[in-house]
Amino acid sequence: MHEVSICQGLVKVVLDELTQRAIGAGRLKRVRVVAGQLHQLVPDSLTFAYELLTRDTPAAGSQLDLRMPPLLAQCPGCGWNGAIEPPVFLCEACGAGVEITGGDELFVEALEIDDL
Amino acid sequence: MSTAQIHIHRAVMDDSLREAAATRAWLAERRLKMFNFIGSPGAGKTALLEALADALAGRLKFAVIEGDCATARDAERVAARGISAIQIVTGDGCHLPAAAVHQALADLPGGMDCILVENVGNLVCPAAFDIGETAKIAVLSVTEGEDKPLKYPGLFRKAGALVLTKTDLLPHLRFNMDTCRQAIRQINSAAPLFELSAKTGTGVAALADWLQAQTNPILQA
Repeated sequence: MHEVSICQGLVKVVLDELTQRAIGAGRLKRVRVVAGQLHQLVPDSLTFAYELLTRDTPAAGSQLDLRMPPLLAQCPGCGWNGAIEPPVFLCEACGAGVEITGGDELFVEALEIDDL
Repeated sequence: MSTAQIHIHRAVMDDSLREAAATRAWLAERRLKMFNFIGSPGAGKTALLEALADALAGRLKFAVIEGDCATARDAERVAARGISAIQIVTGDGCHLPAAAVHQALADLPGGMDCILVENVGNLVCPAAFDIGETAKIAVLSVTEGEDKPLKYPGLFRKAGALVLTKTDLLPHLRFNMDTCRQAIRQINSAAPLFELSAKTGTGVAALADWLQAQTNPILQA
């Protein structure tokens, strides 16, 4: 449900990079995005929003390549660390509340363009 | 034709994060705190602000920024309690954008202790967008059901405080308070939980005290 809003930010970053680097329309083939599991993005919704929002822009026709790192946590109490499954943010070993150590990323990693 | 990889490593919310940082700096300069109230439409967020206006009268001066898709009704309701309120109309927008909040700051009156923001009614999107707030406050009404924290963990995880509203209705509902508390604690084990009724006023004082303590830690000492 929040994919469209998040995608607006994503497309803005992509178009800004294309402008800054003077990369013309049609040359962008793929955008690699890292969105940790904490953001609970639905890949299909994000892809749909991306196609819609890049239509009639220099990024039109490019593909979204989404990587979703798992949610990792560490227990401040007993030192346990490992992957957790939302919505439960408790330590598997001792039941205390955990601190997130990974899976909260949300960034554009790379652009793949046709090399002229 | 070959392809080239350009590594940029740039935050998706780049613009939004910059606006939020600008708001945070603006608040820090003025030693102001800002609380971002987030919950479903009808969770009782505006009623809670009205109750807080009464509970905090004479001890904490706050202004309100209201976000809604349409109308200025909420700002008018809060203003009727003598509180300065600014309405941001988002149109189709499902959350308050950081830029809109930052722009609204300039219209706030001086001499405030803190700013309370009522975000657009929605359990999902507003939680994903940092507006530069001191803390997010999750607002859930008991009529929504005790399993909602587990269904929408994003907000409850990020919240610095959690509020359960409409507790006066508990005798009429199947809502199990222990189940709800347990669900909340699985997601967020540390944030304070306030159970209250804005209608009867029960429990409002505890949240008012917490807001005051967060806002004026020096005066409390």
